[in-house]
Amino acid sequence: MKLSEINNMKKHINLFLLATENLLRHKTKSIVVSLCIIAILLPFITAIAISEGVRMQSLSSVEESADLYLTFDEFGRNAAIPLKYLDEVKDVFGVKKVVPRIIGRCYLQDKLAVIVGIDKEYLPESTSCVSGRIFENASEVVVGHELAENFNLTIGDQLSMRGQNRKLFTVVGFFSSASNIWSASTLFMSLQDAGDLFGKQGFATDIQIYSVPGHNAEIATELYYIFENEPYRLQDKDMIELYVKKGFMLKEGIFTALYTVAFALGIPAILVASGFGLSERRKEIGIMKATGWQTLEVLELISFEQLLISLFGATTAILLSIIWMKCFNGAFIAQFFIGEINLLPKFVVPARFLPLPCLLSFFFAIILTMVGSIYSSWKASTENPVASLK
Amino acid sequence: MIRTEKLCKFYSLHSRHEVRAIRDINLNIAKNTFAVFKGPSGSGKTTLLNVIGALDRPTEGKVFIYDEEITSFSDIGLSRLRREKIGFIFQNFHLIPRLSSWENVSYPLIPLGIGFKERFQKAKLLLEKVGLGDRLDHTPEELSGGQQQRVAIARALINNPEIIIADEPTSNIDEETSVHLLELLKELRNHGVTILVATHDTNFQKIADKIYKIRNGRIE
Repeated sequence: MKLSEINNMKKHINLFLLATENLLRHKTKSIVVSLCIIAILLPFITAIAISEGVRMQSLSSVEESADLYLTFDEFGRNAAIPLKYLDEVKDVFGVKKVVPRIIGRCYLQDKLAVIVGIDKEYLPESTSCVSGRIFENASEVVVGHELAENFNLTIGDQLSMRGQNRKLFTVVGFFSSASNIWSASTLFMSLQDAGDLFGKQGFATDIQIYSVPGHNAEIATELYYIFENEPYRLQDKDMIELYVKKGFMLKEGIFTALYTVAFALGIPAILVASGFGLSERRKEIGIMKATGWQTLEVLELISFEQLLISLFGATTAILLSIIWMKCFNGAFIAQFFIGEINLLPKFVVPARFLPLPCLLSFFFAIILTMVGSIYSSWKASTENPVASLK
Repeated sequence: MIRTEKLCKFYSLHSRHEVRAIRDINLNIAKNTFAVFKGPSGSGKTTLLNVIGALDRPTEGKVFIYDEEITSFSDIGLSRLRREKIGFIFQNFHLIPRLSSWENVSYPLIPLGIGFKERFQKAKLLLEKVGLGDRLDHTPEELSGGQQQRVAIARALINNPEIIIADEPTSNIDEETSVHLLELLKELRNHGVTILVATHDTNFQKIADKIYKIRNGRIE
């Protein structure tokens, strides 16, 4: 390595170290700017992490579920399908298993609960985490963690819901708070009981079809003949996955749009914070220039300062976001992504901290701090030193 | 060594009045000269030194240093010139408030890639030379005006400049420091440094090789 290259490298090291010293010297300003960055980035990072976590959980739920979903079609929407077709569907070549289920909603006092009626042998793997036991007899229910906590339910308690038919249920088990978020406000019961509750005996909201790989097209053709004169609707796993993704993209999009407004409003705050001691800084730049510093060297120093403060602010925001998720369970933000939950969710809100949003946060922080400082610094360093020293 | 041709500097105040700070100044200062610029306040001494020292650009005219026309230099060229050849001593010291004496003195060395230890040693030597060996870690606000001026002098010398430009260096310091400064500048002149001082101090005029009297922006 040539001597000039070594000196050049040493120069960059010197400037980097000086930038660190400057930040420590101007503690108040550094703290105020960092706090602004953290205040702006913390909700963003937390929201993206929750969104990713919920999306991941949804997709894995879709992954472990059926290959085809069969329902009836009424007014262009999914409608209940009669169970009389169950045996016919079961006999179609390529069908491994058919699982009828009822998914509906009703009020448990003032709280909206998701009712899942399914025969116990078909309960999904992700709902196996229980205390107590799974329902075995008629009128037995397994209750989600949030609902149980909300009504102080214990095993053996009886409850009734505002369904079409008044029916008394006995609590026999609970899902733990660590299980799938969808189970938090859910009541699991037998298909028969769910049919009774909604007054729809002999119907299911959908029939899940598990198929032999590569046979979906054949099954679809067969079903066409079975339901020739009926308005049926068949959706495959990919379609469901697409709906899930679309739904989350929409929510993320709305959040990002709202956030962009907040971000834009945050820029003046950073500008004000960065403006602290600007006249002192201008004079300092004048002194630097008068003693032989070049414009690029001044700008490099200031860029290092902004880079360091952005790195510090973004890293702290990420760490605080992780703590927010661990200690406060994504309070105030999770409700944006998970419907009908409290400000302080009583189940473990899933979160995933991916590298890209974290990098994006760092990038945001740099933009914010650069906007606040680089123009004024560039202006001061390009004018005659005499003007900056005034 | 330093030559100016028809040097002019005008300022526009809110586009209404034009202030002609210096007009048609022709100078020729040889190497190793102790030149003093005297004149009443507002006569244009500071402007002239700022333009010669590449801190400001003239409106018209040319400045030559070693026969190189510095008025045509780019911003980088002027910075390099200030870094390599010129040391400034300002009337208001212009020290960076939060830095210690030695950090202020060694500040011009940072972009040269000089390491911490070497910077400290160089600054320490110069501060000892100006009698502030025991004030290395003091910030400007912990120093008297005279001491601050001595820190500024040490900073001006850190790059071993060939030209020292001092603008009213004794106006904010006591008599004793003023005498000390004069001795220091004399010593520098003896070592081949060219010195340009704008001052009312008659002590400086006594030892000057050349005295320029400025009035209304012109040399009389």
